[in-house]
Amino acid sequence: MSVLVFRTTLPRFEYLRPKSLGEALELKAKYGGDAMILAGGTDLLVDIRMRAKKPKYVIDIKGVKELSELKYVEGRGLEIGSAVTLSEIERSKVVKEKFHVLWDAVRQLADFPLRTRATLAGNIANASPASDSAPALLVLGAEVELSSTRGTRKLPIKKFFKWVKQTYMEPDEMITRIFVPEPPRDSKGMYLKFTRISVEDLSVVGIAGLAANPKEPEKRIVRLAYASVAPTPVLVEEVEEIFKHDKPVKELIREAVEAVKKKTSPITDVRGTAEYRRHLIEFGTAYLLNRLLEVIE
Amino acid sequence: MKKISITLTVNGQKKTVEVTPNERLIDVLRYRLDLRSVKAGCLKGECGSCLVLMNGKPVKSCLILAAEADGSEITTVEGLGSLNKPALIQKAFIEAFGYQCGFCTSGFILLGHWILENMPDASEEEIKEILNGILCRCTGYKQIIEAIKLAQKWKRERK
Repeated sequence: MSVLVFRTTLPRFEYLRPKSLGEALELKAKYGGDAMILAGGTDLLVDIRMRAKKPKYVIDIKGVKELSELKYVEGRGLEIGSAVTLSEIERSKVVKEKFHVLWDAVRQLADFPLRTRATLAGNIANASPASDSAPALLVLGAEVELSSTRGTRKLPIKKFFKWVKQTYMEPDEMITRIFVPEPPRDSKGMYLKFTRISVEDLSVVGIAGLAANPKEPEKRIVRLAYASVAPTPVLVEEVEEIFKHDKPVKELIREAVEAVKKKTSPITDVRGTAEYRRHLIEFGTAYLLNRLLEVIE
Repeated sequence: MKKISITLTVNGQKKTVEVTPNERLIDVLRYRLDLRSVKAGCLKGECGSCLVLMNGKPVKSCLILAAEADGSEITTVEGLGSLNKPALIQKAFIEAFGYQCGFCTSGFILLGHWILENMPDASEEEIKEILNGILCRCTGYKQIIEAIKLAQKWKRERK
């Protein structure tokens, strides 16, 4: 086979399109790691083409009705099926108003024609350290529902990522839904994405922030999570603790920046040097906190 | 590999094709159905040259398996207008010189068409946001945005 054909076409695999969740789980149980779930395909088909992933079976879950639902129940939060596209999330009024940090991350993820196909579950399952949705889900305390023929379990998103492109999912499991609990009352959220160019690109550094009750120390909730600064997306849990203290906000921001620096370990790659990333982490964290805590407009 | 029979409605015409699981939508459209406006660029979802409208939504056809597209409606530039009877958006691209080498043009025309149909009053910022999924290496994008704004203006005046 010529190099050109090898590089431009897809290798062999079988295509399976279950019509129900039960059928999908049976297939995953039967073929395990040899089968990969195809939701949007915007990551999987690239990896297959580049021979980074070599599935024998591809299980397309877009025909499964149960997985195509985006539901919101007041007081309980969002329930996002694993076949729900990013465009659907972006268009949802509830997500924009109540889960603003998630909406802000999704609208900056990839580009418009890709978001019409790509899914939130796929962005998580791919486990890229540069995932834009992961930091938002981390600050919102989301849970991932994993299903197999053995049963269903829920994993907090902060315990989902193992390493670069590796998760704690078992070979016979698949993501069925993502639960996002109701955020704290009157909270504000923001996703700050630093890229090399102003259009579609992976982040050099991505920062998700969530803040509620900025003026009352005991009730104050501040959470920060990061993309592209470590082998997995990172939630810096120390930040929430720091902001419970009754000290001038400027001092707390300085402490938070120090805590974040300790928890991140950026590397040099095509998108930026480790040094530049450390600078962005420092600057971005301070900027985001100033914005969220209403120090600056 | 098991062969799969799929049916697509391409530019209004029903087509049934036998495909292998590893064939992509672009492979079927460009090489089997000979729709040469669907260009093979990066083949990994970055350049947008292979963009088509699938059930009315802009998608990159290099990241969709042909089997996934079974039963869907596909629109390519061939379905918008012809040399003798160009669509509004195509006339605007000619008028505003929104192309040079033409490689990325079909994707931009389809996105422009989508904007006219779905967000006819989109602002320049919104247009830029939508266009950011396609790369052009000749025009610097300015004339492309101008072309879409011109088509918007023509559409408004016609009303």
